[in-house]
Amino acid sequence: MSRVVVIGSGLAGLVAANRLADGGADVVLLSKGIGGLQLGQGTVDVLGYTPERVTNPIKAVTKVDKGHPYAAIGAQGVLTALSYLKELVPDLLVGDPEANYHLPTAVGALRPTCLAQPSMLAGNLKAGSAVVVVGLRRLKDFQPELVAGNLARTELPDGGRVSARAINVDAVAREGEIDSSGLVFANAFDDPAFRARFAAMLAPQLNDGEIVALPAVIGLKDRQAHQDLSTQLGHPIFEIPLPPPSVAGLRLNQALNARAQAAGVRMVSGVRTVGFTADGDRIRSVRNATVPAEREYRADAFVLATGGFEAGALSMDSYGTVTETLFGLPLVGAENTPLIHGDYWGGEQPIFRVGVAVDPQMRVLGNGQPVYANLRAAGDLIAGSSRWSEKSGDGIAAASAVLAADSILKEL
Amino acid sequence: MATDGLEFAGHSLSRASLDACVKCTICETQCPVAAVTPLFSGPKYVGPQAERFRNGESVDHSLDYCSSCGTCTLVCPQGVQIAELNSQARAVMKADHMPLRDKLIGQTVLMGKVMTPVAPIAKAALNNKPIRKVMEAVVKVHEDAPMPPPQSQTFEGWFRKRPTPAGPFPRGPVVFFHGCAGGYFEVETSKKSVEVLEYLGYQVIVPKQGCCGLAQQSNGLFKGATKDVLKLCDDLRSAGKDLTIVSSSGSCTGMLKHEAHEIMGVEDERLKDVGTRIVDMMEFLLDLHEAGELPTDFAPIGMKVPYHAPCQLKSQGIGKPALEVLRLIPDLEVVDSGAVCCGIAGTYGLKKEKYEVAQAVGKPLFDMVKATSSELALCDTETCRWQIQKSSGVRTEHPIYLIHRAYGLS
Repeated sequence: MSRVVVIGSGLAGLVAANRLADGGADVVLLSKGIGGLQLGQGTVDVLGYTPERVTNPIKAVTKVDKGHPYAAIGAQGVLTALSYLKELVPDLLVGDPEANYHLPTAVGALRPTCLAQPSMLAGNLKAGSAVVVVGLRRLKDFQPELVAGNLARTELPDGGRVSARAINVDAVAREGEIDSSGLVFANAFDDPAFRARFAAMLAPQLNDGEIVALPAVIGLKDRQAHQDLSTQLGHPIFEIPLPPPSVAGLRLNQALNARAQAAGVRMVSGVRTVGFTADGDRIRSVRNATVPAEREYRADAFVLATGGFEAGALSMDSYGTVTETLFGLPLVGAENTPLIHGDYWGGEQPIFRVGVAVDPQMRVLGNGQPVYANLRAAGDLIAGSSRWSEKSGDGIAAASAVLAADSILKEL
Repeated sequence: MATDGLEFAGHSLSRASLDACVKCTICETQCPVAAVTPLFSGPKYVGPQAERFRNGESVDHSLDYCSSCGTCTLVCPQGVQIAELNSQARAVMKADHMPLRDKLIGQTVLMGKVMTPVAPIAKAALNNKPIRKVMEAVVKVHEDAPMPPPQSQTFEGWFRKRPTPAGPFPRGPVVFFHGCAGGYFEVETSKKSVEVLEYLGYQVIVPKQGCCGLAQQSNGLFKGATKDVLKLCDDLRSAGKDLTIVSSSGSCTGMLKHEAHEIMGVEDERLKDVGTRIVDMMEFLLDLHEAGELPTDFAPIGMKVPYHAPCQLKSQGIGKPALEVLRLIPDLEVVDSGAVCCGIAGTYGLKKEKYEVAQAVGKPLFDMVKATSSELALCDTETCRWQIQKSSGVRTEHPIYLIHRAYGLS
C-alpha cells in the first residue's frame, strides 16, 4: 500500500486525510496541535462577498479573477468537495451549493455561509419573523441585547426586516460557577434533565410564533439536543456560533477526526514538522521535531496543509521577507510592497494574498512548473484570496484537499 | 543553566513560550480536569495567563488541581509549554509546605522493596477496608484509590534465575528498561517484553536500574527527582554504549526523553545520551515494521479489545504505535478509546482530595472499556492500567500481552 503524509489537521488536512484513506492509501497525518477548525463557527463558507453579498456561491466561484484559488479549483472541484463533506459528516452539515444561508452572528449581523449545522437553519430568517434572542446569565460570550438590537435594524438580503427582542435565563450549568464557558454549558445541554429544566424556565417567557435564538451551546455529543429542546419549547430554535471556545466548531472538528480515525488514518500530533529530504524533484521524507531526537516520516506523496501566517506556515521577518517555513517554497504575492499598510480601517492588506501558486492538481508551482512532483498544497497556504473578507477559506480548503487527494490517488 | 530544578522552575522555565499564547482556548476545551470540576480554572488561565502575575508567589492556588497530564501542551497549536509551566509553578508554590503524603508517594522503589517480600500480606492489607481507612486518614491516600499489585518475585529475580537463553541472537544486543513498576509490580509485562525481544532475535541486557524520579517530579520534588534520573542514566549507560534502550514503561520513557529536561531543566550529557537512545516497546516494534523487519506471522486472536493511549505516551509525539502494531494481528479488533485521560495522572488520582475528580475524568474511558469488552483492555502505562482495571472492573494489560500471545509465546 502506498504511503501518503498529510501535514496539518485543519479542515484541509482532515478532508485530504479522509479522502486519501477512503481511496485506499496508507495515510499518516502529522500536526503540531489539533488544528484550528474548532475555533471557527462549524459551518462551511464557500464565497460570501465579492465584495457584494453572494447569494449563489457556486455561480460566484466561476467568476473569480485569474490567480484566485478558485480559478485553479473550478466550480466542479467545489461541488465535489461539498458533497464529500456532507458525506463525511452527514448529520452535521447541510446546505445547497447554489444558495447561501444568511445566519445571525454573535453580534447580530447576517453572515453568508454555504453549509451549516441543522441546529442553525431556523436562523435563515424570512421578512416579518419575530425572533426572541435568549441569553444565559452565566455565559459572558453572548449578549442577547446586542444581537437582538442589531438584528432588528438589519435589512434582510431579500429585503424586509425581522422583529427581535432579548431576554435572559439564569440557568446553572455547573454548581459553584457564575462564569461558565460555552463548553461547560454544552456538556450540561447534553443531559436531557438539564434540557427539561431549561425548557421549563424559558417556555413561559416565549410569545406565540416566536423563533428562539440561542448561543450555540445546545449539546456537544447529543446531535438531537436542539431538536429535543425545540419540541419541549414548542418553538423553532436556532443556534448562533460563539467566539472560541466554539462548541459548533468543536463538533465539526471532532466529527472529522473521528471519521479519519475510523478510516484508518494514523495520527501523530503534538510535534511540529521541521525538515525534509528530497531526491531530485521528489520529496522523500519529512522530519518531526520530536524531543529529544527528530523522527523521519517517509512517503510516496505529501500534502502540505499547514495553513497561513496564523499557523506558522508562513512567516515574515523584520525586513518584510516572507517565507514558507517547511520546504522554503516559492511564494506569489510577496513581491507587492508594502505587504502591510498602516491604515487599520483602510483597504485590504496585500499580505493576506501571499501564498503558493498551484496547478489544477494542487501541485505547488515555481516558474510555472511543479517544484516537487509529489508535493501538493491544500488550504490557506494557497495564494490569491483574502479569505477573511471574502468568506472563502473553508471552500478553498475542502476543495483543494479533495483535488490534491484525488490526483495523488490517480498516481499511486 | 541553573542546576537547581526549583531555581529553574521559578525563574527561567518554559516562560519563554508563554508569549506565543494567542488565547485560542484550544487547551481549555481539551483539558480533562476543567471539564469535570470548577476547582481547576483551566490550563490557559492557570498557565500562560496567571504566569504573568507570578513573582515568586502563585496568585492562583487552583494550580494544584492540574493533574499534569500534559494534554494542553500536546494540543497547543502555538507551541506553548502549558503543562510544563504549570508543573514548575506548582513545584515553586508547594516548596515550603510540601505535604508528607506527596513526599511518600514519590518513593516508588521503597514501596516495591517493602511489599515484594511480604506480597500476600501487602496484598491483603491493600484490600483491607479498615487499613485503607486509616491510610486515608493518616497519609491522605483515598481509601478506594487503585494500588499496585504486590508480587512475590521481582522481575530482576526472574531474569537472574531463569535458564540463560541459548540464542542465537542475530539482531545483536538491546538494553531493556522496565522502570520501578515493571521491576516490582508489573513483572509479567517485563517478562513478556523480554521474551518477545528474544524471540525477535535480540540479546536482552538488563542492567541493575533505579527509579526515573517521575513520581517525585510530578509532586514537585525536583531535587530528589533530578538525582534519581541521573543515577538511572548512569545505570542504563553501564550496559553498553550506543545500544538501543527498549522500555515497557511508557511514562518513565517520557521522563527520560523530555520531562526531566523540559520541566526540571536538567542539562546533562548523560540524560541526552539516554533520552535519544530510549524507545517505547511498541514504538520499537512499529519502527521495525516500517523498516520491513518485523515478522508478522501472528496467530489470529479473535477478540475485540479497547486500547487507551496514556497521556505520557501521547506527549512523546510518536502517535499511538501500539494501535498500528496490534492491527497486524489477524482477527483482532482494537478499538481506540478516544478518551483524553484515565484520571490517575501518576499519583494525582490516589490523593484523597483529588480522587473524585480523577474518577470523573476517567468515567468516559471506564464506560467505553466496559462497553467494548468484559475480558481485557490494553494500555501502555502502569498506573493507568491500575486505574482502568480498578474503576472498570476489566482486566487491563500492556499491549505486549497480545503480541506475546500472537507470536505463540503464551
